[in-house]
Amino acid sequence: MASLWRPTALLAIAFSPLLAHSQANYEIQVYGAETVPAETLMVELHSNFTVEGQQQTVDGVLPTNHQEHETVELTEGVNDWSEIGFYIFTSEQDGHGVQWVGDHIRPRVRIPDSWGWPVGVSLSSEIGFQRSAYSTDTWTWEIRPIIDKSIGRWYFAVNPALERTLHGPDVNQGWGFAPSAKVSYDITPVVSAGFEWYSDYGAIGNISPVHNQQQQLFVVTDLNVSPVWEINIGVGIGATSATDHLILKAIIGRRFDWGKHSPID
Amino acid sequence: MISRRDLLKLSTLVGLAPSFSVLGRDLAAPDYRIDIAPVTLDLSPRHRLKTTAYNGQVPGALLRFKENQPVTVEVTNHTDRPEVVHLHGLFTPPEADGAIEEGTPPIEVGASARYTFTPRPAGFRWYHTHTMAMDDLTRAQYSGQHGFLMVEPRDDPARYDQEFFLALHDWSGYLLANEDGAMNPSYAVATINGKAMGFGEPLRVKMGQRILLHVLNSSPTEVHWIALAGHAFRVVALDGNPVPTPRTIPMLRLAPAERVSAIVEMDNPGVWVLGEVRKHVQALGMAVAVEYEERRGPARWEQPSDLIWSYEQFAAAQPANASPAPPILVPLVFESRFRGHGAMEAWTINGESYPNAKVAPLIRGRRYRLQLINKSMDDHPLHLHRHSFELRTLGAPLTAARGAAPSEIGGILKDVLLLDAQTRAEVEFTADNPGASLFHCHQQNHMDRGFMMLFEYA
Repeated sequence: MASLWRPTALLAIAFSPLLAHSQANYEIQVYGAETVPAETLMVELHSNFTVEGQQQTVDGVLPTNHQEHETVELTEGVNDWSEIGFYIFTSEQDGHGVQWVGDHIRPRVRIPDSWGWPVGVSLSSEIGFQRSAYSTDTWTWEIRPIIDKSIGRWYFAVNPALERTLHGPDVNQGWGFAPSAKVSYDITPVVSAGFEWYSDYGAIGNISPVHNQQQQLFVVTDLNVSPVWEINIGVGIGATSATDHLILKAIIGRRFDWGKHSPID
Repeated sequence: MISRRDLLKLSTLVGLAPSFSVLGRDLAAPDYRIDIAPVTLDLSPRHRLKTTAYNGQVPGALLRFKENQPVTVEVTNHTDRPEVVHLHGLFTPPEADGAIEEGTPPIEVGASARYTFTPRPAGFRWYHTHTMAMDDLTRAQYSGQHGFLMVEPRDDPARYDQEFFLALHDWSGYLLANEDGAMNPSYAVATINGKAMGFGEPLRVKMGQRILLHVLNSSPTEVHWIALAGHAFRVVALDGNPVPTPRTIPMLRLAPAERVSAIVEMDNPGVWVLGEVRKHVQALGMAVAVEYEERRGPARWEQPSDLIWSYEQFAAAQPANASPAPPILVPLVFESRFRGHGAMEAWTINGESYPNAKVAPLIRGRRYRLQLINKSMDDHPLHLHRHSFELRTLGAPLTAARGAAPSEIGGILKDVLLLDAQTRAEVEFTADNPGASLFHCHQQNHMDRGFMMLFEYA
């Protein structure tokens, strides 16, 4: 993903400068094309803290400043080319306590490795609900093509996501364009470092002015401590007035292999 | 390109020609001719691929040599890159062994090379390309360049009614991330004798026959497990060399380049599957039907519940080649070097990759004990050219307490040993075949990336 519900933020930005900071970062991740293996459950905790963000309540949406977002992501591998993910979003903030924000479901398919494509390719479709206190658009849908490639120590991934509102003020705004990308380098077998870029350009056919676009750049490290663990840590800055200015993020994931595996399988 | 039909015709004619005397050999036609050329191969109705093969077929024509009777083989390269053909398991001179590293000249594009040598030792050997593939998973051993080679003893003591040669091979490789974080080849198709299950001819047998199976794993990188439903294998030779203790076992394990010769008593009429034990590999096609006379119908498979194999069961209590002098110890430590999660690992022997990995020159006539120490997370099929070695200790974990030495075995002569990850083993050989001798991991992607070393004679 990139930050969720960008259509909300973007379209709000496009039509009202007062809503320019209404973004919400719950799952900050550039997807790789690989899917979770069959009979395996990936449990991830996404922890994002907005150090410096929107400080006002805008159109009923709470300020993001000093919001702590905890997102639980459960992804089950279906077969060797598909998976299905489920998200539980929460937010904690002074004066509001811990709040349930919403849930999403995300099926994903990919090109099997055996097809021998030169790049990894997959496609996810994420649909879900979020409470109006956290997003004016309560039902959203994201289609995310995912392309990635490892070359030696380098890793590249691009997610040219399309997002739209299914229920809410922006339901008539059509599809928005929110691409993200990642480049990283394997310093050692365990430590990789790189950059992740997240953006939201607004509605396709009505691209927002630069200062109303969301543009975030994260410096990240991935720690490959074990095949069953996934650790990603980063710090991001927002480059436009429409973007939260400073965010810390961490993803900790663990694979649980619940299948009965035999050497003869 | 030479047509497949032309090549088949040619190889048949040449392959059946009688051997000529040594005198006048250069003027005469060769005893055997190997034409290396592109072919289009139908592995199954759904899998057609272009590859390179010997004499237009996969596996290449069976070459039958008489032990200690000189033979001439002419190899012609019809491909667009230099090639070389390794005579695997033979004690040939370096210039005929088919390894450029030892001094065999490459066969240039469109050129021919003629090798005259005296085949030895007797047993089931094979021939294959000995070139590099690097990142191209269609070249070298990933291609169809392999064939059977049988050096027949003057007196064949084996008692069997019918003989089959079977080559296990993997095709259409692609890179997949391993659990150790590096890329490794995986495959879309797996075959026996170049055909996926149901696409090739069955092995036709009769009730009461003793059949002798010569099984070769010609896969570029994969270990394979083979069973014949309803039957058992009596293993009589490993890598073409008779074992001191033949055993009847339910399945065979073959690392890349390994061979197993086994007798099967055909005493259970029906149509059976001979195939890979692991379901996902058999599903890729690695199986063939074994059909009793006057029996028809779908082939029947009985799924084993485990993978069972050990070299030790075929061993003798005493070494085959007891030497009065203690052998010279040669420690060889194998390690990987990380090249990124998007790359295959590089490999070292005693901290160096080929051609920098070196040990002291061999002294002719001396006995050597190689102490093979695998510090990596991969298993390695280790191959020594131009010599056979004797297995002496196997499978000792590197983490074993000091002094907990594994028991010694003897009598098993091989030219490939699968050394498990994080273990050590010891093999002995006598330096009795002067000339450069290559030692390497037979996994194509490992030898491509440094896992080779030359033994030189003093």
